[in-house]
Amino acid sequence: MTNIWDSKSLRLIAAGIVVINGFFPAVWILLTSLKTEAELVSKPITYWPHNPTLANYVQAFTDQPLLKYLGNSVTVALSATIFSLLVSALAAYAIARLNLKRRQLILTCIVASSMFPLVTLLVPIFETMRTLGLLNSYTALVLPYIVLNLPVCTLVLVSFFQSIPKDLENAAMIDGCTRMGALVRVVVPLAAPGVFTAGILAFVNSWDEFLLALSLNSNPNFRTLPVGITLYQGEFTFPWPIISAALIVAIVPIAVLIAIFQERVVGGLTQGGLKG
Amino acid sequence: MTGVSTYDKMRDPSEKTLGFLLLAPAFLLLALIVVYPIGRLIWNSFHDLRLSGGGGIKFVGFENYVLVFKDPDFWNAAKNTVLITLITVPGALVVGMGLALLANLPFKHKWPVRLALLLPWALPLAFAGLIFAWFFHTEYGVVNDVVRRVASPSEPVMWLLRPNWAFAAICLTIIWKTSSFMALILLAGLQMIPKSLYEAAEVDGASQVQQFWQITIPMLMPSIIVALIFRTITALQTFDIPYTMTKGGPGNSTETLAMLIHKTTIDYLDVGYGSTLAVFMFVLSMFVTAFYLKRIGRNA
Repeated sequence: MTNIWDSKSLRLIAAGIVVINGFFPAVWILLTSLKTEAELVSKPITYWPHNPTLANYVQAFTDQPLLKYLGNSVTVALSATIFSLLVSALAAYAIARLNLKRRQLILTCIVASSMFPLVTLLVPIFETMRTLGLLNSYTALVLPYIVLNLPVCTLVLVSFFQSIPKDLENAAMIDGCTRMGALVRVVVPLAAPGVFTAGILAFVNSWDEFLLALSLNSNPNFRTLPVGITLYQGEFTFPWPIISAALIVAIVPIAVLIAIFQERVVGGLTQGGLKG
Repeated sequence: MTGVSTYDKMRDPSEKTLGFLLLAPAFLLLALIVVYPIGRLIWNSFHDLRLSGGGGIKFVGFENYVLVFKDPDFWNAAKNTVLITLITVPGALVVGMGLALLANLPFKHKWPVRLALLLPWALPLAFAGLIFAWFFHTEYGVVNDVVRRVASPSEPVMWLLRPNWAFAAICLTIIWKTSSFMALILLAGLQMIPKSLYEAAEVDGASQVQQFWQITIPMLMPSIIVALIFRTITALQTFDIPYTMTKGGPGNSTETLAMLIHKTTIDYLDVGYGSTLAVFMFVLSMFVTAFYLKRIGRNA
């Protein structure tokens, strides 16, 4: 029996379907961002911009403090990533390496926290941050994001720590390292790929979060990109070319990141997913 | 190994303490961001608690719960949330399965296909909502342009301005956004199925359709269940996409539970009632999780 997928052209069509499905929204937004307002409201609509312009990009930065939003997103996502890695690396090391009773239960507790709907936690988190005077601050987002990232980061790191032979660590300790010294000098460097994978997942999660960012940080000085970009639309006006330009600015960093590290991201996602 | 005894001496007394210290940050944060909020949520739900105005906190017993049952907005939001879940979870599974099967073919270059699956996953939900709102724009949207070319209806479809069309547009957007993650999980599962199974089936004369139902689907079951759990739990929390596409409109025809909770607490600052709504949401999610966990137990 011959497999129909042996045909090269059919395989190309299959790849084409997947690629078009993944890229068409980004491509359409890119084309929209290059059109003039006049071209956008002409009928029938045009697909390819007739007089491509970069004016929308300039306006995207002047209509709203887009650069500030970008800075806020980078600050929040980067700090959340670093702290998520720190907290989950310590926990994962304890689970993977120490001779603890009920280690499976501990891991289950951490993973189960992702089963609670974020929106039900929103109200008390909002109250807590309000009481602590932390509304409109980076901390208000970074703290919950660490917890949001904790399950997947811990899962990825536990399996990486488990893959490092224990003998290496023992050898370091015989040579006079303390347990912590062995952790820092031997385990961490060997677990670097895992740390990196977990880090990218944490960064994307934090970069994308919308509900908490919308509810806790309404002050423009602390707004993140996903929230900021929804504000270009007025009550009755939707300046689509400008929104599109802002979207492209916001999508490019994350797209470049996943394009460079795609194999790691896929590995981490499926590892975190399949073990959970 | 000569060093084991030294090592054992070193680790014995401190093991428990060390474990405690290493796990402390994670559990402190879990306590602050998950455990305390759940307790606080339940406490709130028994009180009249508004952050606007000067009114104090009053214990009201089950009054909020009674109000929820009589609240047409709650039933509307609950109906929308359940409908979105029932439509988009199977929808994303079917589309994701299709994408995974296509992406699993032996391509010479794997990266374009892999990136095409990763990009929708990495795109913030809020951005997907904005982009698809533009697609579904009545006058200048590309969807209506295609509809006009294919079917040439007498009037353009008012996608986001009519309740049923808006609901459909939101479901399509959610399916597009979430099917890629589904596909990535399923793809990893597909790659773990031993080729020999298919070769054996081939020898026995099984058709490709038979192979799909007799080998692929059963072998893929663990991945499917994991993907379904993740997807169902996030579908019940649907917020970003309807919020950016319709703000719950027209009227409140596309308002979800998460949107109602957000509006009640953050916009109206009615924390007591909002918390009660959140308790219902909480119970709903726990039911779903328990249901799936039971299924997993049976399958294992």
